[in-house]
Amino acid sequence: MHLSKLPLQFIHKSLLPLGGVCANRNQCQTRKISTGNVNLAKVAQYQKPDWNRAVTEAEKIVGYPTSFLSLRWLLSDEIANVALHLRKLVGSNHPLLKTGKSLLYNGKNNMQAWGLIVLLVSKAAGHAPDLPDLEQDKAAGVLHSQRALAEVTEMIRTSHLAHKGLVNLQGDETKEDTSDMMFGNKIALLMGDYLLGNCCAELGVLRNQELVSLMSSAVRDLAEAEFVGPRDKQNNPLPARPLPYIEYKPLNDVGLEPLLVSEALGNAQAEWTLRHVLSAGSLLGKSCQGTLKLAGHSYEVQEQGYLFGKHLALAWQACLDREPFAPGSTEPFSLVCAPVMFHLQHDPSFYEEIEKGEIDVHDVDYDKIRKEVLNGPGLDLTQKLQREHSQAALDVLNQLPPSDARTALGNIIAAIRDI
Amino acid sequence: MACLGSTRLCVRVQEKLCQLGQSPQVRRKTFSCDRFKFGPLPSSRIILHEGKIHQNVSNPSTSNTGPSVTWHPCSRPEIAATARTFSTLRTHQPGSLPDYKVDPYRLLEDDLKDVYVDIRKQLRLNTHQEELYEIATYYFDGQGKSLRPMVGILMGRAMNYHMYKDRSAILPSQREVAMIAEMIHSASLIHDDVIDQSDFRRGKPSANVLWSHKKVTMAGDFILAIASMMIAKLKNDDVTLVLSQVVTDLVQGEFMQLGSKETENERFAHYLTKTYRKTASLIANTLKAVAMLTCADDDKLPELAFQYGRNVGLAFQLVDDLLDFVSSSEAMGKPAAADLKLGLATAPVLFACEKFPELNPMIMRRFQEKGDVEKAFELVHKSQGLEQTQFLARQHCQEAMRIANLLRQSPFQKALIVVADLVLNRIK
Repeated sequence: MHLSKLPLQFIHKSLLPLGGVCANRNQCQTRKISTGNVNLAKVAQYQKPDWNRAVTEAEKIVGYPTSFLSLRWLLSDEIANVALHLRKLVGSNHPLLKTGKSLLYNGKNNMQAWGLIVLLVSKAAGHAPDLPDLEQDKAAGVLHSQRALAEVTEMIRTSHLAHKGLVNLQGDETKEDTSDMMFGNKIALLMGDYLLGNCCAELGVLRNQELVSLMSSAVRDLAEAEFVGPRDKQNNPLPARPLPYIEYKPLNDVGLEPLLVSEALGNAQAEWTLRHVLSAGSLLGKSCQGTLKLAGHSYEVQEQGYLFGKHLALAWQACLDREPFAPGSTEPFSLVCAPVMFHLQHDPSFYEEIEKGEIDVHDVDYDKIRKEVLNGPGLDLTQKLQREHSQAALDVLNQLPPSDARTALGNIIAAIRDI
Repeated sequence: MACLGSTRLCVRVQEKLCQLGQSPQVRRKTFSCDRFKFGPLPSSRIILHEGKIHQNVSNPSTSNTGPSVTWHPCSRPEIAATARTFSTLRTHQPGSLPDYKVDPYRLLEDDLKDVYVDIRKQLRLNTHQEELYEIATYYFDGQGKSLRPMVGILMGRAMNYHMYKDRSAILPSQREVAMIAEMIHSASLIHDDVIDQSDFRRGKPSANVLWSHKKVTMAGDFILAIASMMIAKLKNDDVTLVLSQVVTDLVQGEFMQLGSKETENERFAHYLTKTYRKTASLIANTLKAVAMLTCADDDKLPELAFQYGRNVGLAFQLVDDLLDFVSSSEAMGKPAAADLKLGLATAPVLFACEKFPELNPMIMRRFQEKGDVEKAFELVHKSQGLEQTQFLARQHCQEAMRIANLLRQSPFQKALIVVADLVLNRIK
């Protein structure tokens, strides 16, 4: 029931683009009025940090709600076409529906905020004084090119989610199921490709080849992430067999080189870091780096941008990983989430349970794992991990001059830290 | 021996194709290239045909035999006989054929020989994960026609010669563009395979059969990302723009393939646009990029290159759609009538439905009812559909040749003409 409503909403949105634009524009105007009020973001500091509040306040600072960033691509013929086809999927349980849902859903789990963060970083860092007025969005305090980059970031992210949501159809499913799923796969693949194609085009227009290189390497990293470690039939990740404790060496991840995967596998923190640098940190980091490049900052500053984005994404991931283990939670969790991986390091014999999921991760006894993890050091270590990354992101942030954008970023980090 | 066999096959198919020829001149063109099988081949093939040329020259009179012969695939004996006559009494009209024909693959042997090695090297440099590398390089085994890198390098050389005469060596950046074109092509093949669930490509199991669909899709994204990084390394804003257009076109073409249009006119325009976006855009824009690297300040030459590529690309796809009806699955390395089975109405079907309107409902339901594919296959063969498709392809090839003739004469420019010919008369 719940699922079947969502795609209709999605369809509705993309089939009535004009209405959508108007609504958006009105919203923009009201937002702009509040932009003048610099104190708004600061007020948030005195209240209990809250994710949604942090994001909403931050959106005001950069001009318009970033969840509408992707509206431009929602308006195209191709996506209207996708929406029509999506309707056929209603009732099947193709994961693409979930992806569609996460595009619209404004909870803290959604990644719509990525574009927002890129814009906030852009505004907080400012840009070189000699850039022509024409290229600036004065009201929002960012460059048009930076806005385009924020959009590219979200498109890459969405495209990856769509492709990740493909169903592997090589099993022995009945014919009925397969044709629905095949169709879903087709649409998911095309939608992802469409977004990637748009990214290429948008990046091309920016006429900055270093940026193209950087963002392409982020796409490469996302693809690489899907190959790390053992996988079940549906390509769900399983942790690698834990090795006797080896000291954690930080990844050498600055620059365009691909990461060395084999060295990290089996070492809880290293493996977790590698997986999520590839699947999240790289994109957010490189986007932040890229936006500073567009603003004409030195390479040293750009590198700080990368670190900020990467640490923020990792802190975020650590916080998401902890959620299913909160008291009373029965949410499903991934087998490569930090608490489980730390627990494995702590008790390697536990890997036997994990191995039951070799063919299908759902064959694992999740309640048993949850219980074990709750009694082990996993959660504490995860919290420590999250703190470290939050702190690292804050350290970078504090190098910037104070501004409302900086405060907003600080609020977001605080919201992550205290979830 | 293997080579001989394939040549014979080649001749046989061309006998079939020859029946399509409407004017003697075209018929001559049909045969002028039978020395080459499409794709890189062992060196023996040139020698094989020396004898035939002499034969041809000694029979100048047959060019007027009969007006157009109706295409019929069920090879009625009398037509088959006519076809045989054509093939043995090939003509060579004095002055109309170049004295020697260049084999583009031989001409570019040195430029082409490491293209796949270098692509694999680039992919190797960008991942440390074996499985990803294996999937990503699966189609870079050198078994394809490598049409795109070949035409890319050829155009580069022809352009370089046109501008600088003796310094016609290919620029490293131009060679990169040729490699990038092949990579974009492969990435799209890999994704197409997942979409269409095809079992075979290039005579081997397609990637989606061997690996999980998610991984195959990701490998496609990976190739595209690496190609995109290579584009960025060229440090040429305009080239990046031209090549990124290709990716957008490819996807839009794929989207167009999902839907069909109601009226016949719209449908054909839809088909042509789709064909441009899915196939011709890559070739056209690659050639444009290559030409832009030859001469940055001139926009006429890149436009010529673009138009040449567009025409060759359109013809290539038209012939591809034609071969889907006439060629055996063996020769193509993929099953016959594959397009129909996928629900796609290609040019031969669209032409055929002028004569057999009963095809219309089948097109609209994408040949999904039982017996549709067989019935449509039969009707296409009964109609002039294949002949008309061939005719359209030929027009595009002739336009490509006309454009190639605008360039300064050189072996490379000659080879561009040969390529147009090859595309028209290929058998796989």
